[in-house]
Amino acid sequence: MKITTETINYVAKLAKLKFTQQEADQFANEFEKIFTHFENLDKEDLTGIKLNEFNEVTSVLRKDEMKVFESKKELFQNVKKMRENHISIPKVIE
Amino acid sequence: MINIEKLTIAEIKKGYIDKKFTVIEIVSAYIDRIKRLDPKINAFITLCEEMALKEAAILDDKIENGEEIGQLGGIPVAIKDNICTKGIKTSCASKVLEDFIAPYDATVVKKLKDAGAIIIGKTNMDEFAMGSSTENSAFKITKNPWDLGKVPGGSSGGSAAALTAGFAPLTIGSDTGGSIRQPAAFCGNVGLKPTYGLVSRYGLIAFASSLDQIGPFTKDVRDCALSLEVLQGNDPLDATSVNDTATKDYLTDLDAGIEGLKIGVPKEFFQEGLDPEIDESIKGSIKKLKEMGATVEEFSLPITESGLSAYYIVSSAEASSNLARYDGVRYGYRAETFEGIEELIVNSRSEAFGKEAKRRIMLGTYVLSSGYYDAYYKKAMLLRKKIKNVFNEAFKRYDIILSPTSPILPFGIGEKTEDPLQMYLADIYTVNINIAGLPAISIPCGFSKSKLPIGVQLIGHHYAEKKLLQAAYNLEQSLGVYKDIPELKGVE
Repeated sequence: MKITTETINYVAKLAKLKFTQQEADQFANEFEKIFTHFENLDKEDLTGIKLNEFNEVTSVLRKDEMKVFESKKELFQNVKKMRENHISIPKVIE
Repeated sequence: MINIEKLTIAEIKKGYIDKKFTVIEIVSAYIDRIKRLDPKINAFITLCEEMALKEAAILDDKIENGEEIGQLGGIPVAIKDNICTKGIKTSCASKVLEDFIAPYDATVVKKLKDAGAIIIGKTNMDEFAMGSSTENSAFKITKNPWDLGKVPGGSSGGSAAALTAGFAPLTIGSDTGGSIRQPAAFCGNVGLKPTYGLVSRYGLIAFASSLDQIGPFTKDVRDCALSLEVLQGNDPLDATSVNDTATKDYLTDLDAGIEGLKIGVPKEFFQEGLDPEIDESIKGSIKKLKEMGATVEEFSLPITESGLSAYYIVSSAEASSNLARYDGVRYGYRAETFEGIEELIVNSRSEAFGKEAKRRIMLGTYVLSSGYYDAYYKKAMLLRKKIKNVFNEAFKRYDIILSPTSPILPFGIGEKTEDPLQMYLADIYTVNINIAGLPAISIPCGFSKSKLPIGVQLIGHHYAEKKLLQAAYNLEQSLGVYKDIPELKGVE
């Protein structure tokens, strides 16, 4: 199947990524090969298979209880910038 | 002192009991070895020398006082860098998380520490576990200790290489589509991917949540069984972790023999694309199994190739969603120049993600995007269900399914980086096992003429790890190749 550079740029926008023209061309090229390979899915007979029927073990849920994370310092150590007890982020609204 | 590179967990444990060496001696010996040899192997991203020696001293005191030191007491362990370790950098080998210090321990790390294991360092990997060669790390390329020109496999290549190079008797990896088994095969280790749900994923930085599973690399199957006893078990913090399993004891009866064991060999795993030397080696394993009284039968498992497509669609779709959180806003890499929130996110992500991570995000976004969902994602999910059914049917007839772990021998560094599809095809024998959530183990079964390791994969039914480990143990003991370690030519 044909994948164009425009398609790549559109998907990049959805994925919040940006590429140079050269990178986008390369992706289009690679994706064409990869998706052509994926076409082998079409030879599978998938009739009668139901996605939403489960007869396996079910998820194990715990009670949704609040727990206090003891060490605030450790919790926030990866934050770029703190102001008092708040995470400070760059200006996002003009 | 002793040749630590040869020691198994069981031997170290015995050494502590017999007072042959202290924990500090063992830990220091490994650290010295890592410092001396790892600059040429590149297995580690972070070495935890100070912390490890401190822990070792505490354990030596405990031994001195006659206290219990736990099932893995004083055993150094290296952890893949996508598993959270409190207070230690956990980078996923990505520029995105280059400075990320985990604020808590993953459940498996907590379990290892509770069992007395000592974290010696964090190992290199493909960025966010995406890859089959460990060449996608943002920091370094890990070399295969058997041949420094070859890749160690991936994505847990650092853990596999560290084990093989004798940097630790136990290393931990994660397996989403073969990321434990394939590097285990490439490096000549025992590598286990447990049943989906047997080991908690809490604290494992997510790649594809419905496929990811944590497991051990060890020198032999007995060590693997011992490690699994420590790693497994229900965790309230992981809703996909199983409530109760048939057994928590994998060591008893490990040597019970395999008389009457029914083994199925899928003929689709032995077709075009399989290296003839691997083919020959696997046939040698089949012969051994027959000699030990197992019945081996060829059968058809006609989902191999399309299963690979389903795997790459499902795993990339989940990855695109899981990696959406890295936006540069609260933590992780942030671009220096941007105007407004949109550019902040786009620039941060575009500057920090490596090529393969971007490729998977793009593939995943594409298959989930409007107009393509039915053609790809939905079809892949339907096929996933079919694959599960096909395996369920097969396990009505067989106890174990046997196949090669990888169709190819360890390949050269740089050999496949320019062709992603070729790289993906290298996962053909391992991905379907993750799609079906089954347990599978790779054990060394021979060497190529060029002295590169070959692995055989044994696949079990859900939660049948006990039987799987018994079969693997018997095969390993009769083959005997697991004791070989590399000479490390050009390193020492």
